[in-house]
Amino acid sequence: MRIQLPPPLVQAPPPRSFWQDFRLLLATQARVTWNKIRHWPARVWLVLIAVGLGSLGLLSTIGYMLYLALAGAGPETAQGVLSLFFMVGLAGEMFFGLTAAFAALYMSEDLELLFATPVSTRAVFAAKTISVAVSNLFAVGVFIVLPGIFYGRLCAAAPAYYLWLAAVALALLAVGTGLAELLNMAVMRIVPPHRSREAVGAIGAVSGILIALFFQLPGIILSRSGGFNLGDWLAARHQLLQVMSYFPWGWSAQALIRAGSGRHLSALGWTLPVLALGAGIFFLAFLLVERGFRRGWISLSQGGGGRRRSGKTRPAPQLPGEFPVCVPGLPAPPASPWHGMWAVARKDLLYLKRDTREWFGYITPLLLMLFFVVRFLFFPGPGARESLLTVLVMYTIMFSGNMALQSFGREGEADWLLNSVPQAGWPVVWGKLIAAVLPTLVLMEALITGTGLALGLAPGILTAMALGAALISLGSSAIGLYYSVHNCRYNPDVPQQRIAPGATQVMYLINLLFIALLAVCLLYIFPPGELLAQVGQLPPVPFAWDFPEILFWFLSLLLVPMRWAPAVRTAFGLLLAGSFWLAVFLGFMKATVRQSLKGFRVELVTAAGRKRNRF
Amino acid sequence: MEILIKTLGLTKRYGAVPVVDNLNLEVRAGEIFGFLGPNGAGKTTTIRMLTGLLEPSAGQAFICGHDIVREPAKAKALLAYVPDQPKIYGKLTAREFLALVADLYRMPRDFARQQGEALLSLFGLSERADELLEGYSHGMRQKVVLAAALIHRPRVLLMDEPTVGLDPASARLLKDVLLELARQGAAVFVSTHILEIAERLCHRVGILKDGRLIAVGSPEELRRQVGRSESLEDIFLELTGGAEQSELIRSLEGDR
Repeated sequence: MRIQLPPPLVQAPPPRSFWQDFRLLLATQARVTWNKIRHWPARVWLVLIAVGLGSLGLLSTIGYMLYLALAGAGPETAQGVLSLFFMVGLAGEMFFGLTAAFAALYMSEDLELLFATPVSTRAVFAAKTISVAVSNLFAVGVFIVLPGIFYGRLCAAAPAYYLWLAAVALALLAVGTGLAELLNMAVMRIVPPHRSREAVGAIGAVSGILIALFFQLPGIILSRSGGFNLGDWLAARHQLLQVMSYFPWGWSAQALIRAGSGRHLSALGWTLPVLALGAGIFFLAFLLVERGFRRGWISLSQGGGGRRRSGKTRPAPQLPGEFPVCVPGLPAPPASPWHGMWAVARKDLLYLKRDTREWFGYITPLLLMLFFVVRFLFFPGPGARESLLTVLVMYTIMFSGNMALQSFGREGEADWLLNSVPQAGWPVVWGKLIAAVLPTLVLMEALITGTGLALGLAPGILTAMALGAALISLGSSAIGLYYSVHNCRYNPDVPQQRIAPGATQVMYLINLLFIALLAVCLLYIFPPGELLAQVGQLPPVPFAWDFPEILFWFLSLLLVPMRWAPAVRTAFGLLLAGSFWLAVFLGFMKATVRQSLKGFRVELVTAAGRKRNRF
Repeated sequence: MEILIKTLGLTKRYGAVPVVDNLNLEVRAGEIFGFLGPNGAGKTTTIRMLTGLLEPSAGQAFICGHDIVREPAKAKALLAYVPDQPKIYGKLTAREFLALVADLYRMPRDFARQQGEALLSLFGLSERADELLEGYSHGMRQKVVLAAALIHRPRVLLMDEPTVGLDPASARLLKDVLLELARQGAAVFVSTHILEIAERLCHRVGILKDGRLIAVGSPEELRRQVGRSESLEDIFLELTGGAEQSELIRSLEGDR
């Protein structure tokens, strides 16, 4: 085949300025973002609307807190309030910035391409840094600009005040972005490239926890008896206010307080150090990151630089001289199916240990549970006890069902292996069950003990709850496994997404029903005294083909065993609870095994949409 | 012939460990140079230093006479790099991507548009050129990267395992493109594991082991050095210390 190609260049084209390169890269970034937005599916828009509404609520809460804090407060208190908000803003910037810098610099797939072109590396990093700074705009807007505007309006400041506010916001944006990039450098140095997806999953999980906790704060503060006034709280903490003045957020607040009262020269004196610090940190981070990539201190991809851990190496076993790889006619040695089951369980447990994203599956509910325990202990409002119980039930289901729900999707693109070895059916499913239940059970027992102690439950009840947790864990895991084997999926871009979202919701509903019915059975074994006292006084309900009479009749039927002698009632309860649990557990396990024998399919999905069912 | 790629004592160390050690080589205009070596020999690190992605710990690399560290923009304007993994913007279409690369290499817009369409047609991508790249298969992405590498008419082409993911027809097309580029006076530097490609396509090959260049020359010259009329595969296995593998291969061939 004759190929027609124009002759190669003899001389390089004329060079371009930094600004031309920078503009081109920004335009490309804008094009990529626009294309991404154009192809967002409807669910992303729904999530965005929900986040927007949440943010609106957050802004209203912050506005309300600011109004309470600043109305009638002296300059010192106002300075404290502003310092506090600026500090939170800076922390938010570092956090969002770290995530954005990690995605833009370490997870980015275009750096290699851009570095190989005649575009200056400074222009590349400038464009990347801008994208990090843009991701910080939300934190700056909510925690720095908004309180600043609010204070300006409150003290009827002159228009020049807003120039100082802009300067302070810019400086704090530069400080936050620079610190985030420096922090990211440390993360990039520690995390090897092949684990960068795990790291981003971990960062995402931490941000999820922080955001969830943050959204809980206004509710707790507002539900406290007597209300909460940030201004009063700060006014009582003179020492804290004094310490704030040694930090950039304190300088920024000083600058705005002075600008608000028309002392512009003094405002300049406080603004200049923040601006200098912002410029210094920003350029230091910029230069270090650029140098780190150029010198190979930070690796672009696997096989490059970066720190390498020296793992322990075991000496290779000595093989006999003649090693029979394949001997025709020799029958396969008999192997117990228990070996296969344990092999599957051990593989999954190793995954749980080595993949950071798996840890966050456990740590997230645990931390949230801890949050509610702390709330119960230190902020005992009217809803604290109910919240604690609700959260316990929800997380019990989440733990057991959710971890089992991830089981088959964990196979990812390696699903062919378990499908092709002679272990399909019980060995695979029991192996998966063991791996899902073992760590879950340990954590659930810890949760129950913690909750029991927080609520002051009797040891007998605590033991019964621990036994119930084991049964719930096994039952919920069996339900989770069933939905996992039917709805597992794998997304190479987001490897932690291992199940179809609809299946998760159905699994939660089925698990809730399972726990509700099990609770009814357990009522016969551990009947509450109040219920026993009331049952004797209830009038008989006649049967009638009418709604809601038929419902009342059915409910009264459920209460009949409550009138029996305690020993008979307890024996009936044990029989009923045991039969129900066994039916659910074995039924779902059997159904999962049946599907495993047919072969499970991990649906491969990508950002471009569902691709295919393999096999 | 003009020397388009030249390295002088090129070295890269990570800590005290040299990954590429005192590499001296030259690739001339019109030459296809095969860069061979076992896994971890330092091939990719060498290519990264030649492209300016990595700064050498010592030594120099010149592209068309320009030092890649001191005059990166001039050197990079004349070279193209095809990585082993086609890392591209998933949210751009093939046409948009080619336009971007042309802009990055400072190509005039009209020329870039014509050249882009010609390359899309050459690689059989015209019909899907307005689809986002994230929907492309690995082989198609590799073709897009190849097209992007050719859009600015490079004098030096650095390729890291370019045939990975290509179907036989596309691999053949790539071979024809490389031969044509060499005929027109470009220098092509190909790192590959596929020794058959090196034997059939390359004018000269260099064998790297533990970061050191242990042999360089045409396949014929290497055969003469070894003193036997063996295949490049045998020579490679013997030079890189894989004699036992060589024996194994021979025994397997004997079993057939």
